[in-house]
This record gives sequence, C-alpha cells and structure tokens, in this order.
Amino acid sequence: MRRVRSVLVLLLAAAAVRAQAAGWTGGDELPTNPLPCQGAAGAEKAKPYDGGKPTNPPNLKGKKITVVDVPKLIGIGYFNATSKGIADAAKELGNVDAKTDGPTQANIDQQITFIDNYITSGVNGILFAANDPVAISPVLKKALGKGIHVVGYDANSEPGAREWFVNQAEFNGIAKSLLDNMAKEIGEDGAFAIVTSTFTTPNQARWISEMSAYAQKCHPKMKWLETVEAQEDNNLSFQQANTLINKYGDQLKGLFGMTSVATPAAAEAVTQANKCGKVAVVGLATPNAMKPYVNKDCVKSVVLWNPVDLGYAAMYVLRAVTDGTLKPGAKEVKAGKLGELKVVNGSEILLGPPFVYNKGNINNFDF
Amino acid sequence: MKVDVRSLFRHETVLAILAVLTLAVLAHQHEAFFTADNLLNQGRLAAELGLVSLTMTFVIVTGGIDLSVGSILGLGAILVGVFWKNLGLPLPLAMVLTVLVGGLAGLGNGLIITRFRVPPLIATLATLALYRGLAEGISKSRSVRGYPEWFFRLGQGDVAGVPTQVWILAAAALLAAVVLGRTTFGRATYALGANETAARFSGVAVDRTKLLIYTGSGLASGLAAVIFVSRVSTTRSDMGTGLELDAVTAVVLGGTSIFGGRGTIVGTVLGLVLIQALRNGLALAGVKGDGTIVVIGAVLILAILVSNFVGREGDG
Repeated sequence: MRRVRSVLVLLLAAAAVRAQAAGWTGGDELPTNPLPCQGAAGAEKAKPYDGGKPTNPPNLKGKKITVVDVPKLIGIGYFNATSKGIADAAKELGNVDAKTDGPTQANIDQQITFIDNYITSGVNGILFAANDPVAISPVLKKALGKGIHVVGYDANSEPGAREWFVNQAEFNGIAKSLLDNMAKEIGEDGAFAIVTSTFTTPNQARWISEMSAYAQKCHPKMKWLETVEAQEDNNLSFQQANTLINKYGDQLKGLFGMTSVATPAAAEAVTQANKCGKVAVVGLATPNAMKPYVNKDCVKSVVLWNPVDLGYAAMYVLRAVTDGTLKPGAKEVKAGKLGELKVVNGSEILLGPPFVYNKGNINNFDF
Repeated sequence: MKVDVRSLFRHETVLAILAVLTLAVLAHQHEAFFTADNLLNQGRLAAELGLVSLTMTFVIVTGGIDLSVGSILGLGAILVGVFWKNLGLPLPLAMVLTVLVGGLAGLGNGLIITRFRVPPLIATLATLALYRGLAEGISKSRSVRGYPEWFFRLGQGDVAGVPTQVWILAAAALLAAVVLGRTTFGRATYALGANETAARFSGVAVDRTKLLIYTGSGLASGLAAVIFVSRVSTTRSDMGTGLELDAVTAVVLGGTSIFGGRGTIVGTVLGLVLIQALRNGLALAGVKGDGTIVVIGAVLILAILVSNFVGREGDG
C-alpha cells in the first residue's frame, strides 16, 4: 500500500508541476520576428488596418464622455501607474470622466464580468489590458456592437475586437533588450530560468516566444532551464523563484521576471538566498519596486517602458477615436505631451523603444 | 419534521423578502438594471455558477463540501479542446465526453470520501489541486481556439429570446428541486446529513447516496465547463478558479446548514439571484469591485444571523 501511495504521489506531483522546459509551447504559434543581433531593427512593413469598428457610435466630438479602464487586475504597482497616466490624460483633456475598475486577481472570467457590467451601465469608451486575447474578444465585440469605443493597451485582444491597441514596445524589442542585458551579466554560456504570469497571457507569451527565437539566433549557447507560472501573485512569484534557486543550485546564473510582480519577488528570493551577484535578475518591473535591489547592486538593470505614459497615450487615443480625428489607415496619432506616435502592424500604436532603468537613473522615477 | 419545515420556510421567506428589497433598491439606482436585456444577460453569466450551486446544495445538505468543482471545470474546459482538436473527435462527442469525465472526477471524490473515510473537506481540497494540476499538465499551456459557429450558440446564443444556458439552468433547477424535495433519494440525503449514524442503521444506503451526490457534482461541473468554453470561445487551464467559494456562498446564503440536514433548492436559487443581482446592480450603481465584495460578505453574515435567530425559535 505504501509503495502504491508513493507511486501515486509521484504521479500527482508530475501532473501538478507547472513547469515548462526549454521547448516553449506558449504563444500559440504566432510568428516570431527576432531583431538583428547588433544594432537596431530595420524599417516596419506597412499593414492594412485590421481593427474592429463600433456600430453606429453616437457623435460625441468634443463632448464629455465616460470611460472605464479595466486592466488585468487592480492593486499592483504597474496598473496603478497606467491608471495614473489615464487619469492625468483625462484631466488634461478636460472632457473625459475616467474610472479604473477591475478584478483583484488576474482572472479572465472576472474581467469579462466587469466589462459586461460597464457595457450595461452605458459607458462611452472602454480601455482594457486583456488577461486572455481570445476569451475577452466576445465581450469587447459586444461593446463595439453597442457603439462603445474600445482601445486596448499593454495586452492585446484579437484585432477585430478593438479599434486600436497601444503597444508599449515591440515584442521583439523587449526580447532583445532583456536577453542582451542578461547576456551582459551572466555571459554567453550562462543558464537562466523564467518566472512569468501564465503561459497564455497575451503579452508575456509573445515576449517569451520572441525571446526564444532571439536566443536561438543571437545567444545560442545560453541554456534555458525552465519557465514557471506565478499568476501575478507576489507570494507565488517568490516561492517559484525560490524553488528555481534551490532546484538548480549553482547551475542557475540568471532569472528573468516577466511581470512587474515577478521581478521584485525574484530579486527578494535571490537576496534572501544570499546569492546577490551570483544570480543575476533581469526583468520588467516598476522602478519603485526595484529601487532597494538596484541600489544594493543586487539587480543591475530593469527593462520597462513608462507605464504612466502608456496609460496616458491610451486615453489620448480613445479621445481621438471618439472625436473622429483618428481614422483607420492613419499613420500616426498625436498623444498630448508624448507627441506623434507611430502606427505599426495595421492597428497598433507604438509607445516607443524599451527603457532600461539602472543605478544611474532609477532614483529619478517615482512609480 | 413539522418543526423543521416551518423553520426552513421562514429562512426562505426572509431571503425572498431580502431578494425583492435588493432588486428594488438596485433597480432604483440605475435604470438599466431592471431591463429584460440586463436580467437575461445576468442569467447567462450566472449559468455555470448556478449549475454547480445546485449540486453543491446536495453535497452540503449531507454535511460535506466539494471544493474541487472549480478545478473540475478547468479540467473539463481543457478536455473539450483536447478531445476535439488533439484527438480529432467530433465536437458533440467531445462535449458529452467532457461531461462524463467531470462525472468521473466527481466519482473519484466520492470514492475517496466513502472508501477511504477521508473527510470531504480534505478530500476535495486535495482533488482541487490534483485536477487543476492535471488540467495544466494536459493543456501544456496551449489554449484551443477556432470552434465552429454552432458551438457558440450554446454559450452566446438565445432560444426564444432567452439565453440557451438559462433554459438549461432552469431545467436543472427544476430537476434538482424535485429530486431533493420529493424523492426517496432526497429524503436519504437529508437523513444522512442530519445524523449519518442513525441513517446508516436505519437502512439508508449512505455510501451509495454520497457517491451519487459527488458524481452529480462532477457532472454539473463538466456541463458548466462546456457552457463556459462556449461562452468565452477559448479554453484555458485556469478557468473556474474560485468557483467553489462562490457556490458555497450561494448555497449557504440560501439557508442550507453547513452542518447538514437542512436546505432547499429554492433557497439556493434565491441565494444565487441575490448574489448575482448584487454584483451587477452595485457595479451599475458605480460601486467598484472591492466594494461589491464587502457588501456580499455583509449580506452573507446578515442572512446567516437572521437564519440562526429564526431557526432557534423554530427548533422546539
């Protein structure tokens, strides 16, 4: 009986392990486009507009509109920052009443319910960051069908379910930045592991796919040990990072944090395991969360964009779409103090290149 | 038995009054709340929770609990995609198989509880992790998309103006009410919840009843999984997380005693209506997500307090 039980336990453990070895199967087979190893990318190829259209939207040019912002979840620094950007833009514009509301867990079922309720309550515009690109699309299409303008940021839905998507940085640009920074710290034959949110979250999945392609192309000798999920939960990210450190011991030279929650958690795990300087932590995070680790030299560089700017840009795009000044086929859009933003990939608006925070500049930011 | 029925009746009445009051207040707060469009839409959103809550009533009346329903839903959601895309089975067969696998998962729960005498809380806590882990392992982080158009009619379509899944929920509620209230199986459920040892010695087939109840819970979760996938047009291994707590809330709000022996389907349905109305109405009235959770918690405590107060009066 004991042997049967231990076999059963092993089977259960094997089934319950949420690990992914180097063969990354997330990202749902969308094509990757790795950048050249040296220097910047080439020119973007133009693509026809592929966004959705609202049905008979009311003419609200110049009038006051109510907008709701439904991020992946509320209560984490990153989305507090995008929310601030949206609020700043709303104040500048003067004729927008914007509110942020969302689930307390990065759960797609709950996010759909939130959006559905706001559709019923009659908002004029919806801003969103999707937990799942396909699952969120039916409810967004319903919003478009009711004449509500829909603009996404941070994490995309299917193109036909929203009018525009503000992309913080190109997926391959983020992948290049992350991997180049990691290679600088651990060398061309170091071994690394990745802590992400879930394997099907749209943006993280695409970044990892691009990282996989870029690593094969430009850092082929680096060893990719494992990718684990941590759901944007602080505790879970910390535990997963700890597990990786204990599992691979001295073999693990670097940890990637793919969410703004995972990177500080990984840095904390490395600090507590007394491996600062031995295990490099590179990832996406808000400057405030990483200041203690960067100032202690435990983490050398944090890659991000400015999420406040991201929210700000999204709000301006929504206003431009409502006023009719941003039409399908446009090549650029004016976004307040950010100036002209380029349109790429048909219906995506690019915020700009990723920004690297390090000891030299991190103390200048407060979000 | 007579005294028991009277006290039950009082809780359901209190709940019904509370539900009507809530609906009235919420309708007053926002004119879009009490429209047919919104109410039917809420019915559509609550269908999965509703199905699971119906069988959860049976489970809690026996004094047990089933925390694995959310994980069975997640597993079912993945399996719809796996059966259809990876194994190439025709979609209707995949749907039926998913429901059956849900039943099997529930049967697994039942066997662990009856054969190995593991308390339901522990057993279903373990299967919560096991089935979720299976879902994640089988899905290999891929989501399955691209279902044919007719499949979406289940989760996103209407029949005679009412969402498809609301018809299914209504039929299930009727069936559950009849089984729990009017059959010997229902009587056996109450008996074994009120006093398991006495029931066993009275010749009630305690183990078989429990097995059937947990299997039913699994079947309901499997069906909810199919409806859910049809509603969101994709499958993910993290679907249904937290569903078990919502189901227990609806059931307990409906007057079912967590210790077993008391509870009705009518109560559960009222509890479900109240929770969904609060979630929707408060959101429409401008209360943000966190505020809604606080209100639902307060309503639950209030309902339990009233029920306890009333119940003590009724139990001679």
